[in-house]
Amino acid sequence: MSTAIERQIKPIYDALDTNSPKSAIVSCNKLLKKYPKSELIKALKALALLRLGKIEDCLVVCDDVLVQKPTDDAVLTALSLVLRGLGRNQELMAMFEEAYKGQPQNEELGQQTFFSNTRAQHWKNAQMTANKLFKQFQNPKYLYWSITSTLMQARDSTTPPEMKTMLYKLAARLISTAPSPSTDSADKFHLHLTILREVDLDEACKHLETPTAQLIYNNNLAVDELRRDIWAKKGMLKEEGDLARTRISENHDRNWLEFKSLLDAAFAPLAGDAEPSEEARSQCTENVEDIREFLENIKREDGRRDRSASLALVDLAHRERKHGLSKNADRLLDLLQDYVKQMGGKATCFEDITRFLDFEGADLERWTAFLQERANVVVSQETPTELMKYINVQKLLRYNLSAITVDSEVDAANALLAQYLAALKLADDLKEGELHPADDLAILAASAFVSAWSLQEGEEKEGNGGLVYLYRAAMVLEYALTRSKHAYSMRLMVIQIHRLLAAPTPALEHYRALRVKQIQNDTLSHMVLSRASAFSLSGSGDLTFLSECIEANQIYVSNTQDTADYTGRAFLLEKYSQIPGFVDFEDQLECSLHREILKVEHTRMRYCHEIISEDVVDLELIELKAGFDRYQHDNRDFDIIPNYQPKGQPSYYKQTRLFSIDQERNWLRTMMDMYVNALTHASNLDDTVEEKLLIGDRQRPNANTTDRPSLRNWPSEPLAELTPAEAALKDFSDALSEWMKPYHDHARPPPAVVLAEAAKQAALKGGQPLKGIDLAPATNGSAKKDPAEAPAVKDAPESLNVFFDDIKVRLAETFPGRKRAEALHIAGLAQEALLFIVIESLRWKNPTNVKTHKFGALVQHLKAIRAHAIAALKAMAADLQKFAQEEDVSQRKLIQEACAPLPLDHDFMLDVAKKVTDSRKKVIEGVAKGMIKLCSNYNNLL
Amino acid sequence: MSVLRPFRPSDLFKFNNINLDIWTETYGIGFYLSYLARWPDLCCMQESPSGRPMGYIIGKAEGTGLEWHGHVTAVTVAPEYRRLSLARKMMDMLEQMSDKVYRGYFVDLYVRCTNELAIDMYERFDYSVYRRVREYYGSMSGGKNRRDEEDAFDMRKSLSRDPTRRSIRANGRDIIVGAHDVS
Repeated sequence: MSTAIERQIKPIYDALDTNSPKSAIVSCNKLLKKYPKSELIKALKALALLRLGKIEDCLVVCDDVLVQKPTDDAVLTALSLVLRGLGRNQELMAMFEEAYKGQPQNEELGQQTFFSNTRAQHWKNAQMTANKLFKQFQNPKYLYWSITSTLMQARDSTTPPEMKTMLYKLAARLISTAPSPSTDSADKFHLHLTILREVDLDEACKHLETPTAQLIYNNNLAVDELRRDIWAKKGMLKEEGDLARTRISENHDRNWLEFKSLLDAAFAPLAGDAEPSEEARSQCTENVEDIREFLENIKREDGRRDRSASLALVDLAHRERKHGLSKNADRLLDLLQDYVKQMGGKATCFEDITRFLDFEGADLERWTAFLQERANVVVSQETPTELMKYINVQKLLRYNLSAITVDSEVDAANALLAQYLAALKLADDLKEGELHPADDLAILAASAFVSAWSLQEGEEKEGNGGLVYLYRAAMVLEYALTRSKHAYSMRLMVIQIHRLLAAPTPALEHYRALRVKQIQNDTLSHMVLSRASAFSLSGSGDLTFLSECIEANQIYVSNTQDTADYTGRAFLLEKYSQIPGFVDFEDQLECSLHREILKVEHTRMRYCHEIISEDVVDLELIELKAGFDRYQHDNRDFDIIPNYQPKGQPSYYKQTRLFSIDQERNWLRTMMDMYVNALTHASNLDDTVEEKLLIGDRQRPNANTTDRPSLRNWPSEPLAELTPAEAALKDFSDALSEWMKPYHDHARPPPAVVLAEAAKQAALKGGQPLKGIDLAPATNGSAKKDPAEAPAVKDAPESLNVFFDDIKVRLAETFPGRKRAEALHIAGLAQEALLFIVIESLRWKNPTNVKTHKFGALVQHLKAIRAHAIAALKAMAADLQKFAQEEDVSQRKLIQEACAPLPLDHDFMLDVAKKVTDSRKKVIEGVAKGMIKLCSNYNNLL
Repeated sequence: MSVLRPFRPSDLFKFNNINLDIWTETYGIGFYLSYLARWPDLCCMQESPSGRPMGYIIGKAEGTGLEWHGHVTAVTVAPEYRRLSLARKMMDMLEQMSDKVYRGYFVDLYVRCTNELAIDMYERFDYSVYRRVREYYGSMSGGKNRRDEEDAFDMRKSLSRDPTRRSIRANGRDIIVGAHDVS
């Protein structure tokens, strides 16, 4: 490139760097007049167009450069950014491979080619590129790249099982040819062991025996983890136990894994044998005594500094009982009591020991008596440690509660609340960021109120009057949050309750106070976005929840674009131990169940807001279908919601789920099916057309999940995860879809015609012709179908009209008990049913489609159903408006009365009650308004 | 009592109980992956025997010549697992790696001048203030302690490769530098 051009191009780079793509385009256009053939200027223009969101124009310019098979570094770099942005990883790979073929001496280009292979997760090509690099430049790093690529190919879900072993063996052979031993670095050794673990455990163990290997695993947690796994697979429990003993006693290692190894080794003689011999049992008893003595010494040595040995002794006694080596519970009881006395002042005491608490009968009575006695001893709560002891005892007592009733739970909640309020004085002057030490008492009190609510049955629980304890729980948590504003666990708990109370605004406020960001959008946004469409006011123009969805979705975009870069970086820095984890992480986020749920929720909200037009159905369809053929990882974090409900009772989360049901894979699949069916009818795409019109790559299969079924193949229980109203909508959608299918299938133009039209549009824009499209069929009329073969128009199934009659009644049934959340849910589903009619009608908006195929009667039927639907929706909206009007002072008073017995500030409770009733009124009114708007939007569709 | 194990990318899906805390920042994916792609042995996670995350440390090795050292980028423990010496165990691990594997002269870390609890803790771990860095952090509240909030203490602890302890000094709190003077 001449200096003159270089100088002229600089402003384009500057404009791109400063995020001014418009000015970059202006500069590009100016320069292109002077240098019309410049690949670099065109590539930069494509990049600017991409950044401006002008995807179609970008495609045209990008294709124009790609056909020139560019080789220049700057052009390749610019184009690689464009192709990555478009999700065209396959083309990116092809571009670099082509360029590298022409310049095999260019090491940098070779590396870029390799990274484009790894980005596309095309491990076979990656291995070949790495081999080429190794042969050419003799750098052992490239041999390791090749070995890692082989390992990754073996792990890949697309690799046939019979190939896998072969690939692992190949990787093992390759690594044995390395010029220096793998023990050169921890990461190379990790790679070596990972491969040997799959093909030759004996060899793996042999490699672990050398002094260098020992030095590595003693200083590297990742290699040590692998060693542990290899030894376990080889059944080397005794060796593992011996090593653990040395580490604990000589190195003062207090990693719990060592204690676990020690215990596993003690019980090794009984492992895997349902009826072990007497000899094995006596050997085991001997081991147990030996380990006990060892642990007691460590416990004495550590005192309160470290609780590992104390807990290991509890674990030992528990296992002893489980294996029938010890008949009575005395020892375990003594150790647990000792543990509570010693460690009760630590917040973790409860979690430490719950897994050992399986006492029954007299043992349970003794344990409970001990705890009750302690509850009296430590009731003073004068220091944070004393308070924590009290809290732990309360948690432990609650854990083993058996015969609970509404009354007993209410009593418990009141007592805990009183203790909470008394303990508040302990930390009157909390520093910024600190949590109040009494928080857990408020959590326990709220849990008991929620439990009381959930123990009620039928109308008593669901109806307005039954919400008394739920209101009290909300009030306790709201109050405690004013005393400890960073107590995230209480926020999560109260969000759940506000959703049950149909008060989305306070729920969202608490959610925002959590400051959820980045990856947490995948794991935590379900707290407010699961079934958010029920609370969304998008129909009446309030896009709050819609925006939340878009914001939450950003994390997936950033994963798709960026994560692969770090995999490349790990190769470059030779951190081979990290590569499988990076690739799996990308997959886990890319194929997130919550992502697909968000997509559906977002579509539902958007369709209430935007006018659905035939222009967008193709893209919508491609987007929705994308997740069907992959396994979806459920990354939603439910464990984060505290649970102190008694053993055997549903968890707090389960008790407070909206409509007592989760959004799971069957729900997702059913909802997606409904939309995909309707959109498929409206669309002219079939699979062959879709393939050619795709902008990015087809979504690749999962990285490493062969044994888990995709959503399409998920064992189906269609109704298991649906509410009754959703099940009714599914029946409606099935009937509508079945009725309409033959007419759409008949009227849909053949693929060749669709493609020809698309090609014509592309040509008009001055781009390259679409790949592999023969325009010929479009020009002759043979593709047209004979109108005589058109299926006869049948009457609409009666069930379609009945659905709207029923759902109106269903809504009315929610009013007497003031089941607000359910009312909103039902109203939303009724709107969705109308939307399905709209989508199914889109094709018939064009009179030619109707006339050509003589479907006039069909349109008349559709019009009649739509009119019936609109009438029903309007009536429902009117009912809802009336329902909203009743969310007035009387309802606020009801909350106040419900909470009156709570010893909390009156004005504070009034404020909370107001927030709840205001939010309810707003959401119910808004939904009603949205329904009316929706009706007027589609009143004259056909 | 906890399991000490390597930090893994999949921990990002599980660390909410640690990160929903005012002192702990949740960064973009690239932050965690860039550390793991370079210093995986300086990043580790503590979890309870039931598999619940308790705390983690993320560190790096940097500097040239006598400034070659280990750096604690983030160390954090979930509220419910505090007062169990977990931070100490993780710092021990990072110091040991910086000493034995990376052969650094010292380990350092930055802390808001207002975060007294943390400063006390690091002092108990034998760290001392080496210098005060002006406007190192963004403001949290914009209140009266704004200057202390935005300034950081660079705290250091020397390792065995620095037997004369030249990498630390007694009057560190009086030495003030600008944020652009530090890496």
